Amino acid sequence: MSIAFDKVLDARGMNCPMPLVNARKEISKLDLGQVLKVMATDRGSVADFQGWTKVAKNVELVAQETEAADGASLYVHYIRRTA
Amino acid sequence: MGQAITETQWSTEQLSSHLRRRHPLFVLDVRAREEFKRFPLEGPGVTGINFPYFEMLESGGLDDMVDSVVACVQRDLVQQLPQSAPILAVCAKGSTSEFVAQGLLRLGYEATTLEGGMQAWGNHYDTQTVEDSRDLGIFQISRPARGCLSYVIVVDGNAIVVDPLRHLHPYLELARARSLKVSAIIDTHSHADHISGGRALAGETGASYHLHPYDAIHPMDMVPASFAYEQLRDGQVFEFGKHQLRVLHTPGHTLGLVALLVDEKYLLSGDSIFIHSIARPDLGGQAEAWAPLHTRSLRKLLALPEPTIVLPGHFSTFEERDEQGVFQASLAKLKRDNESLVRLQRLGDADFVQFLMESLPQFIPEYVEIKRVNTGLASPAEDDAATLELGKNVCGLAQASAQGEVR
Repeated sequence: MSIAFDKVLDARGMNCPMPLVNARKEISKLDLGQVLKVMATDRGSVADFQGWTKVAKNVELVAQETEAADGASLYVHYIRRTA
Repeated sequence: MGQAITETQWSTEQLSSHLRRRHPLFVLDVRAREEFKRFPLEGPGVTGINFPYFEMLESGGLDDMVDSVVACVQRDLVQQLPQSAPILAVCAKGSTSEFVAQGLLRLGYEATTLEGGMQAWGNHYDTQTVEDSRDLGIFQISRPARGCLSYVIVVDGNAIVVDPLRHLHPYLELARARSLKVSAIIDTHSHADHISGGRALAGETGASYHLHPYDAIHPMDMVPASFAYEQLRDGQVFEFGKHQLRVLHTPGHTLGLVALLVDEKYLLSGDSIFIHSIARPDLGGQAEAWAPLHTRSLRKLLALPEPTIVLPGHFSTFEERDEQGVFQASLAKLKRDNESLVRLQRLGDADFVQFLMESLPQFIPEYVEIKRVNTGLASPAEDDAATLELGKNVCGLAQASAQGEVR
């Protein structure tokens, strides 16, 4: 499956809350309808991005994927700016 | 931002000793709501709220985490936070809670953060002394966040470890500190709620590993264990100098469950009798067949002398601790105060079985996989092992008062 995106945020190696704090900043720089791809290594980011996109009024969660990379898991979140 | 280190950071050891003293504590848990529901920080005197950090970011509306916490607290939480009592900020791994505590400190609250977060708390171990006389030691090693109990029996420089939990350091440290040789490891049964440290500890120390053969088969898969072990049998006696450990086969929670009597004085009851509750008979998926066995085994244990001290495999609330901080009680006391055991004494077998069947808590799907791990049929990586074990054990029967809370 390939999901279209407009910008990538590399949050690998970052601890919570930075993947989400930075994603929030980046999404505000996108145009309406554009998609941000966030790559994180923090497992907790999966539930956090789900929860955040539910309460935030300007974003929607397009998809989430888990990839195996070098024996560790990579958590990828696609977020669209909606407002 | 970046160096969000507050001066007031609690280790899990500090949290544990705070809870042991039953001091009040207000917890601001900033994890996602589902995570909080699955594994809240519990303890006597603990109150608090769950307010996810991403909701703080949205409510505060600022780019900086600490700034957002300050704005959010002023807008949403002033009414709910205590003005003059400590607030413990808690998150999954202890980094986000540092930002939250910083925001609270900036507003003048007395705030601390839990180092390592709920992950560290879930992996925290306490060691309490049951008996420490010249020639016999019994230590209760617990994982307080999970409600799991294990034991180390010390005789003549030897350590016999019963139901060791997943992390080996508490046992190895105790053995090192007292110059003990870990000589035998006994699992009272194949655990469903947590991953046993038994085989790993045996591998690490060269000790023998003992299990009842009925529990060396996964009860649902009907596949035998993939590892070597020494078979426990009913009535078997381990002699250690003038001390002895007698094996009682008490099927019910599992088919191979055993209880261990130390010097006819201490009953390591595994998952049969707990302090406030009793074990559930349905985790092998055979409740109807196992509930009558469970009933018979419980009657066998109740027939032991009343001064026998019961040392259980689990607890569900900290209220079950005695004044010494140990989860233990005499059989006499349990026959009087344990609601399920009171029922057992009053009811006939058929009625008690019916009571068991009506008191089964929700089945936990992860438990099937955990049993696979404990039967050597699966070996999860650390992250997956931690996820399988997340939250408090649900090995006990649903208690009438807590029925709605069982997940």
